[in-house]
Amino acid sequence: MPVRAADTSAPPQHHSGSNSGHTSPPPFTLLSVGQGFSGTQNVSGLQKDEAWRVNVRIQGCDLEHGYLCGTMEALNVPMADTPVVTFWEGEIVDTKNYTFFTEKWEATQDDDIRHWTKFPSFAALLNQVEVDGGKSLDLSNYPYIFMRWKEQYFVNVGTDCGLTIAGFYYVCFSCSDGSINGFYYDPNSSPFQKLELKSTNEGRLGFSFSSYELR
Amino acid sequence: MPTSTTAAGSNSDLVTRLNSPDAEVQLKALRELKNRIIGNRTKKLSFVKLGLVPAVAAILASKAQAQAQAQAQPQPDHDSNLLVQSAAVLGSFACGFDAGARAVLDAGACPNLFLLLSHPDDKVVDAGARSLRMIYQSNMAPKCDFLQDKNMEFLLSLLNSDNENVTGLGASIVIHSCETTAEKKALCHAGVLKKLISLLEGSPSQRDNSLESLATIMKSNVEAVSEFVGCESGRALSSVIELTKDRYPRTRFLASMCLIAVRNTSSCYLQDIGIKTKLVHLLLELHEDPGQVGDEAPFAFSSLISHKVDLQKLALEANAIDKLYNHLQKNRLNPKRFQGILLALADLCSKLESCRSRFLSLQALNLVSEALTHDSSDVRTAACICLRCVSRSIKNLCAGNFMNEMIVPPLVRLLDDPSTSVQVAALCAVGNIIVDFTTDRSLFLQCGGVKQLVQLSKSMDSTLRLNALWALRNLMCLADYMCKLGTFMELTASSLASLICDPEPFVQEQALALIRNLVDGCMESVELVFAEDDIILDAVGRQLQCVSRDEIWIQGLYVLSNVASGNEFHKEAVMHQLVPQADNGAQSFILKFLQSNESQLRIAAVWTIINLTFPSSPSACSRFVKLHNAGIVSQVKSMVNDPCPDVKLRVRTALGQFTTLNDGAT
Repeated sequence: MPVRAADTSAPPQHHSGSNSGHTSPPPFTLLSVGQGFSGTQNVSGLQKDEAWRVNVRIQGCDLEHGYLCGTMEALNVPMADTPVVTFWEGEIVDTKNYTFFTEKWEATQDDDIRHWTKFPSFAALLNQVEVDGGKSLDLSNYPYIFMRWKEQYFVNVGTDCGLTIAGFYYVCFSCSDGSINGFYYDPNSSPFQKLELKSTNEGRLGFSFSSYELR
Repeated sequence: MPTSTTAAGSNSDLVTRLNSPDAEVQLKALRELKNRIIGNRTKKLSFVKLGLVPAVAAILASKAQAQAQAQAQPQPDHDSNLLVQSAAVLGSFACGFDAGARAVLDAGACPNLFLLLSHPDDKVVDAGARSLRMIYQSNMAPKCDFLQDKNMEFLLSLLNSDNENVTGLGASIVIHSCETTAEKKALCHAGVLKKLISLLEGSPSQRDNSLESLATIMKSNVEAVSEFVGCESGRALSSVIELTKDRYPRTRFLASMCLIAVRNTSSCYLQDIGIKTKLVHLLLELHEDPGQVGDEAPFAFSSLISHKVDLQKLALEANAIDKLYNHLQKNRLNPKRFQGILLALADLCSKLESCRSRFLSLQALNLVSEALTHDSSDVRTAACICLRCVSRSIKNLCAGNFMNEMIVPPLVRLLDDPSTSVQVAALCAVGNIIVDFTTDRSLFLQCGGVKQLVQLSKSMDSTLRLNALWALRNLMCLADYMCKLGTFMELTASSLASLICDPEPFVQEQALALIRNLVDGCMESVELVFAEDDIILDAVGRQLQCVSRDEIWIQGLYVLSNVASGNEFHKEAVMHQLVPQADNGAQSFILKFLQSNESQLRIAAVWTIINLTFPSSPSACSRFVKLHNAGIVSQVKSMVNDPCPDVKLRVRTALGQFTTLNDGAT
């Protein structure tokens, strides 16, 4: 599904001087613990001739440290008897804990820019990101949240399942409609595999919210 | 004198000899008794039971009072010897043995021992001071009230004495008695801090006493820390830093305690990375000490790193987890050391995922699991606290690293422990471990975990109720319907309704959070709040109207919001709570939440409205009209530029739905 263009929203503020003004993004209930998303991942790149159904659920969120985690379930994976569930951890690009530059996972700054620019909502940020990775941007009121999701382990299958989780996702969450778009990056897989997810309410006539607190 | 062949004979003979009118016989009996009890707790206990302590105290009393009446005139030698020996025996009974200290105090020995401090014979003074020091090292000793002038004067007279044992006694009294900030301030104002600083230049024993007393006075006392740091342009601080290199482990340990007190009280001091690293390394090294220093080192290490991420990182770099784990592997650790190491590991793993990863990679959980069944309740509590800190990691929880046979069965058994502190610590650990969204939670259920939690949620002790409900709330988060249903049947609707109205607000909050999770998920789960004639929903509605605490309101509103995401019947039940039926002019309580300063309340209230007016539900239109008539729709419309981005965007969702419903109606 298309991501709402950024041109209707106010441009993000720039910080001047030090990084002391950096604030975490405000909490969004649609991106909170327990929220579910479903959609597809196009695994064939531009030809779009193969897509896996995907369910995502947020399991943990710590905005202060720019951290999000959850599970991802791929439903019609060829060669797999059951849906394949992975656990992922996310870095929220809040310009305090993380910038737009990945600086790991075999991603160069060019790879970063090439993937982020696939999101229309990133266009307003491009110039500044090219300068400093977005370090001087204040994204706390921006209606999109950019993240990187990195799968850490398979939950229900062994590592010998013939699948790889070597890459990671560039992700953009729309605060207004709760949709998530992403692009998978792995130098050894087909490029720009697109992830498209919508917030789900699991058969309910409305939205429901759980919560837990670790001790 | 020949000794008896049986212990019993020997003991009763001792009683007789202590009560002898012949001073020489008494003296010999005292010496013999002293030699028998030194370092032998079993002997001490048996002699306490035989009533020897009052007999010794009686010798001391008669001679000390005679001396006081003679007004410092020299007494015969054998009297002085009796004073020295009786004081030594009493001190020995009290040394490291609480039952002994209790017996000495009960025999009324303390006032007579204090009389010895003004004896003309230095040996008697030494013996009295040493004995009193041993008594003041026990928790049984009475506290000295420093706020009374005469006590403060007396303390200063002790600290100003030329006798090393007497100044040591002064320091012991400070260490034992000084607790409140008012007392600490009074000690500073009276010049005790300055005096203690000057004693840093004294003998090794005075130096150690001074370090320990300084640490006691400076702990949580900003005024004392600033006086200490400023003293002689920082010379006192420098000399304590220097003492961290002393050749005696005890001195190095006490110097580090002093520096920890400075740093923990005023975070502006000792920020230098060098000193922080040095303290980390020093305390880790002191864990090697086989004696008291090694027993106390883990506790000091904990106070150094607790709640401080920077120090936890330094400790990780210094291989602290590996080193502590190596100590933990040693056989026959004494309970205090075992407890201390577990608590130190808990603090290390309390915040940083990197520390938890290292801990888990060492298979340290096996040892923690064994500690859950230790004889000492302190060790069992510490093992639970360690487990709680290590399990603060969703990544590891979801990997099923804790929900296994090694951890869950012994942990669940601790929910029934005779010690309440073990039960509370176990509940906290359980509260984390059951947050496992990917693996089956059936192991916890099979072990009887739910039954235990439900039972504890009905405890008379509010701390147990709170922690049991907290664990149940976490268990219900994203649980499947069968798990929810089983837990609900165990809890019952009427119990839940009374927990919502518990006298303790924190219990109310957790009870509501539990119900919020219970009604999330599949549609069937919403039905649970309608059991027993809607008793739960009515209780929630009442709490939202009468309680005045944001945390409770937030959870209560989410219960309503989640129920409102159900079917038509569920939505109408929420409407019944929200919109007063009788036209008596009463406002809906949701208006109060929509207008609240707390954004979390506003967002929960807006979600409730969104769910009630969800366009695909058949009666959305009629509910919209009722909400409109109650003034709720106009309130939502006025929030279109809410300062909280989440609220603002969700208000727009609601307004979009209102437009759809309006269009449908026209």
